Amino acid sequence: MNDESKSSNSSRSDGEPETVRSTTPIWIILLTLMLLFLGSVYFDHHSGWFSSKVYSPYTSKDEVELYQPKSGAAAQAAHGRQVYQFVCGACHGVDGMGKPGQAPPLAGSEWVNANGFHRLAQILLNGLNGNLQVEGKDWNLNMAAMGAGLSDADLAAVLTYIRTSWDNKAGAVTADDVKAIRAAVGGHPSISAAQLKTIPE
Amino acid sequence: MRNGVIVFIAAFIALGVSWCGFVLAPVMQLGTEKQAAVLNSSDVYPIGRPGEANQGLQVYRANGCAACHTEQVQQSGFACDVMITSAGTNPPAVIAAWWRMQTNFFPNEMTQRFYSVIPNSGGVPQFPFERVRKEIADIAVESFQNVGAKAEIHIIAIGPDIERGWGLRRSVAEDFLYDQPVQLGSLRAGPDLANVGARLPDANWQLVHLYAPQALVKNSTMPPFRFLFEVRKIGNAPSPDALQFSKAFAPPAGCEVVPKPEAKQLAAYLSSLRADAPLYEAPFTPIMTKP
Amino acid sequence: MNPKENFDSNFGEASVPASRLVTSLASPIDASCRVPLLVLFSGAALWLVVGLLLSLAAVMTFHKPDMFADCPLLTYGRVQPAANDALLYGFCIPAGLGVMLWIFARLSRAELALPLVPVVAANLWHFGVLVGVVAILLGDSTGFVWLEFPRGGSALLFAAFLLIAISAVATFGQRRECELYPSHWFLLAALLWFPWIYSTANLFLVAWPVRGVAQVAINSWFATNLIFVWLALVGLGTAFYFLPKLAGRPLQTYYLALFVFWTLILFGSWMGITVSAPLPAWMSAASSVAAALTLVPVLAVAIITFKTVRGVPHGGISCKGEPFCYIKFGTAAFVLSALMLIAEACPQISRVIGFTWFGPAQVQLQILGFFTVVMSGAIHELLPCVMGFGLPFPKLVRLQHWLFMPGIVLWAGSLAVGGVAQGMKLGNPQTAFADSTAAALMFLRVGTTGLLFILLGSLLFATNIFIMTLKWKLALFKSLLAAFKAPLATPSASASLRRDRAVAEGKGGEVKP
Repeated sequence: MNDESKSSNSSRSDGEPETVRSTTPIWIILLTLMLLFLGSVYFDHHSGWFSSKVYSPYTSKDEVELYQPKSGAAAQAAHGRQVYQFVCGACHGVDGMGKPGQAPPLAGSEWVNANGFHRLAQILLNGLNGNLQVEGKDWNLNMAAMGAGLSDADLAAVLTYIRTSWDNKAGAVTADDVKAIRAAVGGHPSISAAQLKTIPE
Repeated sequence: MRNGVIVFIAAFIALGVSWCGFVLAPVMQLGTEKQAAVLNSSDVYPIGRPGEANQGLQVYRANGCAACHTEQVQQSGFACDVMITSAGTNPPAVIAAWWRMQTNFFPNEMTQRFYSVIPNSGGVPQFPFERVRKEIADIAVESFQNVGAKAEIHIIAIGPDIERGWGLRRSVAEDFLYDQPVQLGSLRAGPDLANVGARLPDANWQLVHLYAPQALVKNSTMPPFRFLFEVRKIGNAPSPDALQFSKAFAPPAGCEVVPKPEAKQLAAYLSSLRADAPLYEAPFTPIMTKP
Repeated sequence: MNPKENFDSNFGEASVPASRLVTSLASPIDASCRVPLLVLFSGAALWLVVGLLLSLAAVMTFHKPDMFADCPLLTYGRVQPAANDALLYGFCIPAGLGVMLWIFARLSRAELALPLVPVVAANLWHFGVLVGVVAILLGDSTGFVWLEFPRGGSALLFAAFLLIAISAVATFGQRRECELYPSHWFLLAALLWFPWIYSTANLFLVAWPVRGVAQVAINSWFATNLIFVWLALVGLGTAFYFLPKLAGRPLQTYYLALFVFWTLILFGSWMGITVSAPLPAWMSAASSVAAALTLVPVLAVAIITFKTVRGVPHGGISCKGEPFCYIKFGTAAFVLSALMLIAEACPQISRVIGFTWFGPAQVQLQILGFFTVVMSGAIHELLPCVMGFGLPFPKLVRLQHWLFMPGIVLWAGSLAVGGVAQGMKLGNPQTAFADSTAAALMFLRVGTTGLLFILLGSLLFATNIFIMTLKWKLALFKSLLAAFKAPLATPSASASLRRDRAVAEGKGGEVKP
């Protein structure tokens, strides 16, 4: 490289800056090309090819698809168990056997295994107090309302979980069912045991 | 380059290409975003904020809260936990299957902790595999089912933010659907607020914290926002809104601290901040979060 | 050739300190820039001081959190963006535009075209900044980073920029030779860049806001193109003009500069979207690739600078604090701040330093360490020629350099180190969050000393410019008085004075800062 080969207008004498016209070093062009190549490899691996549904750290749509949690009954059961253990388990026991003097059992309870789910749903939504017979024993109940803190999907999942676990054989409940019941009786004050029997199953 | 026009065209092309990439494409791809379905649920996400919380966003903007707080949760990875829900009738076979897989998948290391055991199951672990790839989790679930146990896979999001309890998944486009302006923030001089509504749901806590951060968080560097409150003489009856403080932060005797509407709006906005619905692009198995 | 231009040929030698180039007569080219440049620079100098004062007020929150607890105007969340905007819109852009006008006039070897237009525009610009900064302090910010000014202020800035651009392009069009110098490319591109990004950001974010996170993408694009690309275009355009001029040897080399230009505008404009942003992966992936490719122009800038100043007296690291030093230090700061920006775009590194004080450190280094230093060096160098008399306190130039250099190293350096310390703790969920803020706190407090140094330096800068403006006004007043007393004064009361008079009369008292 010749540092002294000045540009054509080197005849300037007015002090304006000039440039040297030697060629660009080849290595910097090679570096650019190499970075371009590596960059396209990186982009190919990490971009999810312009999908609006692929976010880092996922790298492709297939991967996002692979890691979707299971849907349907299995997922609802898992969700229901989590809600149950978190909200209900403390009193009713993780095994659904209840706690003497505190909360009646849910496993095998006639109120849980009823044909319809309206009574059970209302207990969860609005709470329950008073004397109630469960599996042949008298319970003096004072259960708080759970409706405000749980979404329809949470309630449906936990209702389904209660009605299908521990050898209970009642059917599943959907979020739409809960939504309808909530719309009808949500925000109702705590129901008494006597009122419970007047609610259709 | 000899000609000004060529320079102009060069700059035009370079900026035009990046304009198409980072202005036009995002507007087309994300500007028409709609509510999304929450995974395995009939709910949609997000639901707009209540009016007071929306006014609170404007208080948040006006006072530049985003200068110190982010509203974005980072996620560095994702994995599966395998959970056995029922040991079935032959617990020793389940344990044998677990050990076989353990030596197959992780021959060199004992990666899995034996931290909880299913009750009455002869020592079957509740989480035989944690933080494994989906492929391994699928095989494990199948193997456990073959020996009579019931197992399921939990998808979990991983990252320091998530372990800190700042969120359950990364932030995605839907979280900001109704925000105007989107207050993402870029500096964590204070903690992330993406899920502060889930973490600290009590609006009264927020009000006390806004008036005197150091009363609730020792050595906090947050400036107090006393100008959002009114310190006034207690009239005939104390205001129902008046805040309670410990001695060091209490107003002078005979006075009470009452939040101005802006403070209430800001607290409502903070309480409304939560971005923890499982979505298609940020999946996880929902864990019970609502109390 | 015009005999008055002989003066310039001496000027090119680095060995001649600026103070000795004092002459009572400026060339007509330089003189034609006088009024617009004075308006632009004196306003800019004022905003530099105001911006740094606001920065100081902002950082005081970390010394004493409840300092401004009862004063909504000075709460951190308002002062901090106001300080940044005062520095960027108040100082950086008008100073850059002023230097650009002068470089265009010099390189075109023609007088500034439409000299009245930039005078009006400069006043409009500084008024717009005032509106914007006051609005931010009153809580009327838009909430978008670097775009906090509300509509009124933004509209004024946009109009003012277009007016100055018209004058700049007209001056550019007057050039006698077709061949362009590298500075031409950078500065011309900057003239296109700002109106485009500013109008896009204002239209899509403020006037008719798009929905949801598309705002984030546009805001990041705007911020990067303004803080990184625009400042780089103008700062490097200026540096590539002054480096060879002050070193007394040609720029090394033409094609390397061309290479920098192309790669900078092609790749730099795609940076800015981090991996954590709630945007689809392709955007952050594209940004990361662009950041890696931006290594090339940054490397090339370092090579050009090194090869151009090598072997020249005071060409190395040694320096005495003359404008040459400013330009060298500024270019080095550019390379460093660009490397920091590239590091932030690397997903693995950003896991550690993302959301920490490292980001503000990079911005402060870019704005103060690179742009402000290059601009103050250029202004110190060109102002004596433009005014036709030397700086009133030439020693302050050196003093300012010796305040700026350690100040910037201390301020940006401690923010960056504090950011890394903070990030280490932030990335470890077992450490309490309070520990991460505490880790950065000490560095912030140390860095405040650096900020004080910079503030003192900026006061010296403003002093020189204001005294110069005063002296010029006094001289103008005297000559007007003389002209009034003796209408047939000698022709040697040069043409430039007459022009100044015309401009000043046309504009009334517009030269007030």
